[in-house]
Amino acid sequence: MATLPAISSDEGIRRDLWRPLAGASSRYLIVLCVLSAVALWGLVAWGYQLYRGIGVAGIRRPVFWGFYLVDFVFWIGISHAGTLISAILRLTDAGWRKPVTRAAEAITVFALMIGGLFPIIHLGRAWLFFWLFPYPNSRLLWPNVRSPLMWDVTAISTYLTGSTIYLFLPLIPDVAQLAKRATGWRRRMYRMLSLGWTGSDREWNALESAMKLMAGIILAVAVSVHTVVAWDFSMAVAPMWHSSIFGPYFVVGAIFSGIAALLIVMALIRKTMHLEEYLTPHHFNNLAKLLLLMSLLWLYFTVAENLTAWYGNEPKEMNVFGARIRGNFGPYFWVMVLCNFVVPFVLLGIRKLRNILTATIASITVLIGMWLERFLIVVPTLSYGRLAATWGRYTPTWVEISITVATFASMGVLYLVFAKLFPIIAIWEFETQSEHED
Amino acid sequence: MYLNGEFRFGDARERVLRALQELRERGFAARDVDVFSNEPLEIPRDVLERRSHMSFAAVTGAVLFCVLIIGFVSFTQYSYPLITGGMPLFSFWATGVVFYEITMLGAILTTFCWFLKEAGLLRRGRPPAPDVEPGMICIRVRCRIEQSVAAQKSLEAAGATNIQSSGDAR
Repeated sequence: MATLPAISSDEGIRRDLWRPLAGASSRYLIVLCVLSAVALWGLVAWGYQLYRGIGVAGIRRPVFWGFYLVDFVFWIGISHAGTLISAILRLTDAGWRKPVTRAAEAITVFALMIGGLFPIIHLGRAWLFFWLFPYPNSRLLWPNVRSPLMWDVTAISTYLTGSTIYLFLPLIPDVAQLAKRATGWRRRMYRMLSLGWTGSDREWNALESAMKLMAGIILAVAVSVHTVVAWDFSMAVAPMWHSSIFGPYFVVGAIFSGIAALLIVMALIRKTMHLEEYLTPHHFNNLAKLLLLMSLLWLYFTVAENLTAWYGNEPKEMNVFGARIRGNFGPYFWVMVLCNFVVPFVLLGIRKLRNILTATIASITVLIGMWLERFLIVVPTLSYGRLAATWGRYTPTWVEISITVATFASMGVLYLVFAKLFPIIAIWEFETQSEHED
Repeated sequence: MYLNGEFRFGDARERVLRALQELRERGFAARDVDVFSNEPLEIPRDVLERRSHMSFAAVTGAVLFCVLIIGFVSFTQYSYPLITGGMPLFSFWATGVVFYEITMLGAILTTFCWFLKEAGLLRRGRPPAPDVEPGMICIRVRCRIEQSVAAQKSLEAAGATNIQSSGDAR
C-alpha cells in the first residue's frame, strides 16, 4: 500500500493544499448555511431556556444531570482526537501522522470550545458563570477549589489554552507563506498570525523545540482532563459511579471516540477537498487499526466495570446495573455494545473488509455508541439512587435535543470555516516528509 | 552589513552545509549566520549550534505557577474564618488537581513565550530577512565591511548565487 503521494514537487503540494482556500463553491455555501441554521436554532433554544428558566429542560429531581452533562462528557472526549493522537504520533516520530495532525488538532480546539459551553448552559443562570472565577465577592468568599466543578474549570481552561497553542505553532510557517500570496483582509490576517515569521533556522529550531515540549506537556494535560471529568462522577458515593476504574475508563473512551471523529473528518475532507493523494488508504488503515485496538480496550474496561459490580451484588449497585443491562435502559446498553464493539470488530477486524468506507461507517457507529455510553453513565445512576423513594425518570425536552443537535452543527460550521481559512494539512511538514521519509 | 547568498535546486542543502563550514572556518560566529528556508533544515550542531533553554524555561514556569497557585489557594482558604468542625481549611489532597493543572498551564505559557523569544518573533528592529521562495535556501551573514570579501568567497565557493549585501556598513 503506497504511503507517499505521487506528487512531483513542492509547488504541486502547495497548489493542491492551497486550492481549497480559494473561493467557495455553491455546495460549500449551502452546507454552511444549513449547518449555521441548525446551530442558530440551538442558540434560540438556549435563549428560550435563559428566558423561561432551566425548568424548560427535562432535568428535574432526581435526575439533575441530563443531556447537558452527557454532551459535556462526550465533547470533551472527542477533544482527545487531536492533541492526544497528534502528540503521541509526534513523540514517536511516526512519519504517517503528518497529513493527519492538523485536522486532528483542529477537532480538539473546536470540541473543547463546544464541550466547555455545557457547564455554562447547565448552570441555568448562565450570566453568573463568572462566579466560578477566583475573585473575592461581596461576602469575601472565594470559589471552593475543592469542588470538582472548579477542577473542571482549571483542567478545561489549561487544555484549551494548550491545544490552541499546539494548533497554532505549526500553523505559523504556513500562514507566513500564505501571507505572501493572499490579498486584502486575508493577507492582513495571515500577516498578523505569522508573527513576522521569516523561515530562519533560529525560528525552525525554536519551533521544533516548542512542538516537542508541547507534545509532552499536552499529553499529560489531556490524560488529566478526562480523568478529572471522570472524577466528577467517581468522587460521588453513588451506585456505579464510585469506582477507581473510572479515570482510565474515561480516558480510553475519549481516545476511542476521538479517533472515530478524526476518521470521519478525514474521510469528509478527503472527498470534498479532493485530497485523495494526501490522505491515502494507508492513513485510514493505520487509524482504523488504532480504532480497533481502542474498541478492544473499551470492551475490556466495560466488562471489568460491569462484572465487578455484578459479582459484588451490592443491592444499590444492582438496581442501577439491572436497569442498564435488562431494564428500561437495556436497549441503549446493547445498542452501545453493538456500536462500540460488534460493528468495529467485524468491519475493521476482518482485513478484507477494512477500507475507507468501512472505517468511516465504524467510526459513525462508535460516535453513536460513545454518546450512548455517556448517557448510560450519567442518567441511570441518578434515576436509581440509594433511596427507592427518590427514584425517577428522565425525559429530555425539545430544548435539550435542539441544543445537542446544534452542537454537532456548530462543529461542522467551525470546521468548514477553518478549512476555508487555513490549509488542513501542514504544508511545510508534508514537504519535509515527501523529501526525507516514508 | 549583511551579505545574502541564495542556493537553489538539487543539492542545495549539501552546498549550504559546505558554505556554513567554510564560514565557520573563516572565523564567523554562529550568531552572525542565519539560514532561511521554507522548511526545516537539519544542520549538524558542530556546524551551526543553536542552544535552546526552552525545557529549562518550561520547568521554571511550571514551578513558578505551582508556587503561585499554592499560595493563592491557601490564601483564599484561610481568608474567611469558616467553621469546619476540626476539618482542615486547606487540603493538598482536595486541591491537588487545581495545583497540577495550573502548574501545567505555567509550563505551556512559558514554552510559548520562550518560543517567541528564542525565535525572535515579534521583536522590533530585526534585520531585513531575504524573501525565500519554495525550494530555495538563503544564507545571511552579518559581517564588518572588511570581512565581506571573506564571506563572499565562502558563499561563492559553495555555489551561492545572487550574492547581495544589505544594511549599513560598519
